Order: sequence, then C-alpha cells, then structure tokens
Amino acid sequence: MSKPVMQLKDVKKTIGKTPIIKGLNFDIYGGEVFGFLGPNGAGKTTTIRMMVGLMEMTEGDVMIKGHSINSDFKKAIHHVGGIVENPEMYPFMSGWKNLLHYARMMPGISEDRIHEVVQLVGLEKRIKEKVGKYSLGMRQRLGIAQALLHKPSVLILDEPTNGLDPSGIREIRAYIRKLAEEEGVAVIVSSHILSEMEMMCDRIGIIKNGELISIQTVRDALEQTEEKEVSMEATPVDDTVAALKEMTGKDVNIQEGRLTFTIDREKIPTVIAGLVQKGIQIYSVNVNRSTLEDKFLDLIGEGSIE
Amino acid sequence: MSNFFKLIKNEQMKLYNQKATWIMAIILVILIIGAGVIFKVDETFTGGEAPTGDNWKEELQQQNEQLMSPDGPPDVEYPGYMNVEENQYRIENDIKPTEYNVWDFVRENRGLVALVSLFTIIVAAGITANEFRWGTIKLLLIRPISRTKILFAKYISVLIYALTMLFALFVLSFIVGSLLFGMDGFAATYVYSQAEEIKSVNIFSFTVFQYLLSFVELMMMATFAFMIAAVFRNTSLAIGLAIFLMMAGSSIVVFFMDKGWAKYILFANTDLNQFIEGTPFFSGINLGFSIAVLAVYYVLFMLLSWVFFTKRDVAGA
Repeated sequence: MSKPVMQLKDVKKTIGKTPIIKGLNFDIYGGEVFGFLGPNGAGKTTTIRMMVGLMEMTEGDVMIKGHSINSDFKKAIHHVGGIVENPEMYPFMSGWKNLLHYARMMPGISEDRIHEVVQLVGLEKRIKEKVGKYSLGMRQRLGIAQALLHKPSVLILDEPTNGLDPSGIREIRAYIRKLAEEEGVAVIVSSHILSEMEMMCDRIGIIKNGELISIQTVRDALEQTEEKEVSMEATPVDDTVAALKEMTGKDVNIQEGRLTFTIDREKIPTVIAGLVQKGIQIYSVNVNRSTLEDKFLDLIGEGSIE
Repeated sequence: MSNFFKLIKNEQMKLYNQKATWIMAIILVILIIGAGVIFKVDETFTGGEAPTGDNWKEELQQQNEQLMSPDGPPDVEYPGYMNVEENQYRIENDIKPTEYNVWDFVRENRGLVALVSLFTIIVAAGITANEFRWGTIKLLLIRPISRTKILFAKYISVLIYALTMLFALFVLSFIVGSLLFGMDGFAATYVYSQAEEIKSVNIFSFTVFQYLLSFVELMMMATFAFMIAAVFRNTSLAIGLAIFLMMAGSSIVVFFMDKGWAKYILFANTDLNQFIEGTPFFSGINLGFSIAVLAVYYVLFMLLSWVFFTKRDVAGA
C-alpha cells in the first residue's frame, strides 16, 4: 500500500478527569476504505471530531498528508472532506445554495465542479428545492456532495448509508469503493451495521471504551474458501442428517428443528444438489453470522460500556 | 481578504434566505407608514398648527404670557410651542416656526431605532447560536479557514444588517414624511434645550447626527447579544437577556443612582444623545467619558466572544 494519508499518533482525550480516548495509534492509507466500528459510547464520534479539529485532543496529534491538525490546521483540513454525525444543512436554502455556501469557503471551486458533484450524487432534479423538503436520504447525498467539492484526499463519513433505501445504499457503497479504488481517496466510514462494513471496507478498526482493540483486514478472495456455518430447515430430518454426514463428514447439530453444520463456502451448492437428489425437501438455507461478526462480539463482549 | 469577503457574502445569503429577516423588514415598513398616516390624520401628534404668519413674534409672545399666567396653563392656540424659554429664544434670534414637515417626522421616527435594535439583537444572537442549533457549525468549521475569521465575518454581517435597517428607517421616513408633510423646511432651524440652555441648529444635519449617535447604542446591544450567543451557544438566552437589559437598562441605572460606581454601568452611557439634547443621567459624565466606558465594554464583549468561539470544543448536540 501507499504512504499513510492520515496518521493518528497516541491521540488522547480527557474530559475533566475521565479519559474518553485512551491513546489511539493507527494509519490510514490512500485508496483504502477504513471502517470505524464500535458500540455507542465507545468514542467513535469523539475521535472523528478530533480528526477534523472540532475537538481539541488532550495529547497526541493527527497528521493529514504530513500536516498536523493541531499546529497546521488550515493545510491539514484542506485535504479532508466529511460529514460529522448527521448531514445537517441549512433547511431554508436550496441544495444548490448550500453547496455554493461551502464552495465559497474553499479555494478554487468553480460552478462546474458544483454541477459535477451534484451529478455524482444524483441530485440534479431536486437541487433547486429547499433542503427542508429533502428526505434523509437526499440530505445524505447532499452531505456527500459537499464533502467531495474540493476533491479531498481523506473522506470521513459518519454512518453514510443511514436513511438510504437499499438501492441507495448499494449506489453509495459502489461509489465509495470507486472513490477509493480509482481516485485513491482514503475513506473512513463509521457504521454500526456489520454486514455493511464487511461489504464496503478493506480494514475495520474496532474501538471499545476509548481504545482500539483490533484492526481486522476484511478478506476478499480468501473468504471464498472459508468455512461457513450453515443452518437448514428440511424434512425428513433423519434422512437429511444422514445425508449431510455422509457428504461433509462432519457432525450435524439439531436445534429447534433446524440443522446446523459447517462447510466450505464453495461446497454449499454441491451439498444442496445432493440433498435434492435424495428427495429431501428443503425449506430454507441460511449462512450464519460471519467470522467478523463473531470476532466483533467476542472482542467487545456483552454490556460493553463501562 | 477575498475569502473574508466571500464569508460575508455567505452570511448575507443565509440571513436573507430566512423568512424571519423579511418579516422584520416588513414590520418596520408598516410601522413607518402607519406612523405617517396617524400623524397626518390626527394633528394632536404633530402639535397642531404653528404660528407662521407675518406677526408670528406677537403670537408667540402672547402665548408665552398665557403660559406664565398664574391661572395655570390655559387653552393655548399653539400646543406645539409650550416651552417659554424656547419661544423667547425664537423671538430674540428671529427664528420663525415652520409647519410640521418631513424633518420633524424623520427626527421623531428615531424612536423606531429601538425596534431596529430589537431586530438586530435577534440577528446577532442567531448568527452564531443558530449554527449550533442546526448542527451546521460542524460543516462550517471543517474548512481551511480560521475560526477567528468565521466569527468576524459573522460580526461584520450583523453590523451590515444594523446599518442597512437604520438606513432604511431614515430613508423610508424621509420618503413617507415628504409625501405626507411636504418638503418645506429643508433648511429649517431646530430649537432645543440642552442642559438648561437653549440652542439652535440646522435640522437636517442635526437629525443625521442623532441617527449616527443612535447607531452606537444599537451596536453595543448587538455586540452584547452576539457575545452571549457565542459564549452560551443559545439563541433564546442571548435574545432574552439582551432585550431584557435593553428594556430594563435605564431602570437599573436609576436603581443604583446613588452609588459611586453607577456611572460606570453600561446603560448610563449607551445613549450618547443625552449629551446632545436634554440632560445627561449623571452630572459628572460627558461625551468623552461615555465613549471611554463604552470602548472598555466593547473590547470586553468582543474578547469574550472570540475566546469562547475559537477555543471551545464543538461537542455533541
């Protein structure tokens, strides 16, 4: 991977005497999508606010393209675009005027560039309407548009798919991937939806109680051959169990009428075909929660907010 | 510098895209026209007729004698000329009274500066605190522009708004006044008493001067509201406190009148017109003293706004 675009160096935040963030160290590279994952209250938002200079850190520093956010704010923030928490815009102005407002605050943004980002997020038809009339999904798109105006090297998006419908989510996800892969932008997304993160991110940092407890690399090609836990509803149960044992050579658990077993992902179609051939009636097949989700829950545990 | 200008343009765009801004402007227009119509219809507001005939000196002399008669003030012919010393001054200095005219109307509408103050307080309080309320402050501050610059662009925008409204008040009063009361008396002489002394001055320049002095009071209250909003990030608190102090200001001064430090209270000094017409609150203060006191308060307000706006974290809503 290329050089880090953003570096967190022992970032700490103490409010009163309570340590909120207890020393974060990690690098984010151009061209990757980095997921920031953690339960509510873990310090995700505080960290993001410190990354963009909205909150001062008690100790440590954030370097963006080599510029310190503490001592060289203007140069550092110039490379950052983002949405912090909700995409809040001026409701009494049109989408266009909202974009114009932010465009004026950064050097060298032409009207053509504003048109370009409007098109990118697919708001051409509604851009002259007041933001107060927008749905949450449209505001989210407008939020992404304002973050992209100045072609930042780092894009920070807090819950970017929040409020979008499934097709909108897919679009945004594809767009985020494209930004990272084709334009080399480092994208930082926070989300609490794990499956989302898995689909979108290259790496996922898990934060708990102000500490980064793990950075997971999301496997792509490797994942294809990985073992999955599959649960199935089929009759007759006894015949199915026997057939499965024969085909997989592994134990089959029966829970509340559902059969669960582990199997390599690529073998799933063969097994199903085999069962069908034996005249077994299959009502449903599910692949159970992924390894990442397991790991996440293992790592953060239950009742994780101390 | 050019990006500072763009910031001001942004603030103006946000201000004039809000309905409230236009509602305030419309209220001002309605009140000016309303005042004109009422003054025109009911002459008791404009002091009735003035003695403008060739023998005006005798008429004023006669009225003065009536006013000083031991039977108490009788039904006089010219209720607009009740001050014996002023009338005497006119006779001695050959200053002929004029009918109620456009300048009288413009001068009296200076009372509406209180309304302009109120509107400016609302704007000053909202311009920073609303960004926090809307949540837009987060997107505003993650730009390659210092917080100091953003704050001052907001402050300058408040002053531009205040000046615009004050100018509108003056110009509109002039237009309505000249339509209803005529352009006569453009060069009229205004006779007034200040600190028990009778003076006379050209009415046009005097009126303009009084408007400019009113701007000082307007600016102080707006700066106060701006400061409260920047410190507490709460629009309602800033508006409420500033309006309360604007209303109660002089009562506060009167309440502490006998204390030695009373003359240092902001509100003993905000009304600079007290040195031009009428009698000042305290005998010991003059224009220079008041300006010095106001300058200290002003610097304090600006400093507090700046420190709190630039240094404090922008935490969750």
